[in-house]
Amino acid sequence: MSFLLGQYVEADSVVHRLDPRVKIVSTVMLSLLILGASAPHCLASALLLGLVMHLTRIPFRAYLKAFRPVIPFFALLFLLHLLFTPGTPLPPFGAWAITVTKEGLFMGGLVVFRFGLLVFAASLLTYTTLPSDLVFGLERLLRPLKALGVPSHDVAVMVFLALRFFPVFLRELDRMREAQAARGRVVRGGSLGLKIRAARDLLVPLAWSTLRKADTLAAAMEARGYGNGPRTYMRTFSLSFRDYAALFLLLLLAAWRLLCGIQA
Amino acid sequence: MKEVKFSLREMAFAALFGAGTAAGAYVVIPVAPVPITLQTLFLYVAAGLLGGRVAALSQVVYVLLGVIGLPVFAGGKAGLGILFGPTGGYLLGFILGAYAAGKLMPSNGVPGAVRTVLALAAGTVVIYVPGVLQLCVVAELSLVKALTVGVLPFLLGDGIKIAAATLVTIKLKPRMEQRLS
Repeated sequence: MSFLLGQYVEADSVVHRLDPRVKIVSTVMLSLLILGASAPHCLASALLLGLVMHLTRIPFRAYLKAFRPVIPFFALLFLLHLLFTPGTPLPPFGAWAITVTKEGLFMGGLVVFRFGLLVFAASLLTYTTLPSDLVFGLERLLRPLKALGVPSHDVAVMVFLALRFFPVFLRELDRMREAQAARGRVVRGGSLGLKIRAARDLLVPLAWSTLRKADTLAAAMEARGYGNGPRTYMRTFSLSFRDYAALFLLLLLAAWRLLCGIQA
Repeated sequence: MKEVKFSLREMAFAALFGAGTAAGAYVVIPVAPVPITLQTLFLYVAAGLLGGRVAALSQVVYVLLGVIGLPVFAGGKAGLGILFGPTGGYLLGFILGAYAAGKLMPSNGVPGAVRTVLALAAGTVVIYVPGVLQLCVVAELSLVKALTVGVLPFLLGDGIKIAAATLVTIKLKPRMEQRLS
């Protein structure tokens, strides 16, 4: 269940206790810093990430698990750069009628390394923050967008509702697939027309039950007086010393990156 | 600027179709060359049945679900980093595409099949534009390479999904107006 609901991993650490707003902002900042970073900056970001991952007291193999689904994409990205970057050819590959260049090897490695850091940074946020706290953080961070007409609280509530119904949908999809299979519908193989009809037969009951559920949900919320009166939260946060310390560390990294950018 | 107001019903529809889009990413139908997921199928159905505003909102909810860490982006990924990563442009594309496709649907009455297919196809184009652009910039690929890996393999699946979503829209739209308040 914890895997489905944001992969939160229970542990008692400084990182877990950080304010969710600080964690969301840090992840965004780190993602932006990693984007397009050169090799030394990537290494610095990797060191920082490693340090924070150590502080979370979550075993390293939990982070490696986040990697498994993206490996095929990594491989594709690496190969694209390896085979299509012009530059000095590397000798052993010339004989196999493919050209692998030194620059290609370096570019491919760097792009994949950067992308790997992004995966680590993202899993760091979700491993250490409860989904409900993330919604709280999200609502507070979206608040400035109110000036642009974004109803930040409504958006946060919708995200929370979706979070609640996501496992329900997964179960329902499974049930409908089984119902189709029990009636002899074969999805694997078959002509194109058969596939389209299979998708439709799965989707009509699913879309209909979605519409009905939403209708009932709206009525239930209305009956409970949603949207009347001020909103409150069960858990609130205030920024403490460790929150400011974390932000300061990130600002240092950003400043270093900016200074190097000016020199270059 | 005045705050955008959504009715409770619109919020509920957007939330549930956002959740459905996320769950759809987990249903993989094996078709050559790349297996298709039901994820954009939910986008198409939302656009067909709910109109541009609510359909776009449902995709905002889907993207935010991924941002706060539910592994619902392509390939079981999640997190803010993905938004800035090579495939992040598609996520922006989902929101814009859902809006465009929904806007192109007739606002009342039962839509025709041709109109629905055209609207959804136009929405698909809108999905790919920011997707391919970001793929070019972030993964440092040329436009042709980005099109080869980022659009071409998915076109057959998109066609199947548009056809299925059109059938669903035509079937459910009258039922929706009749039976839901």
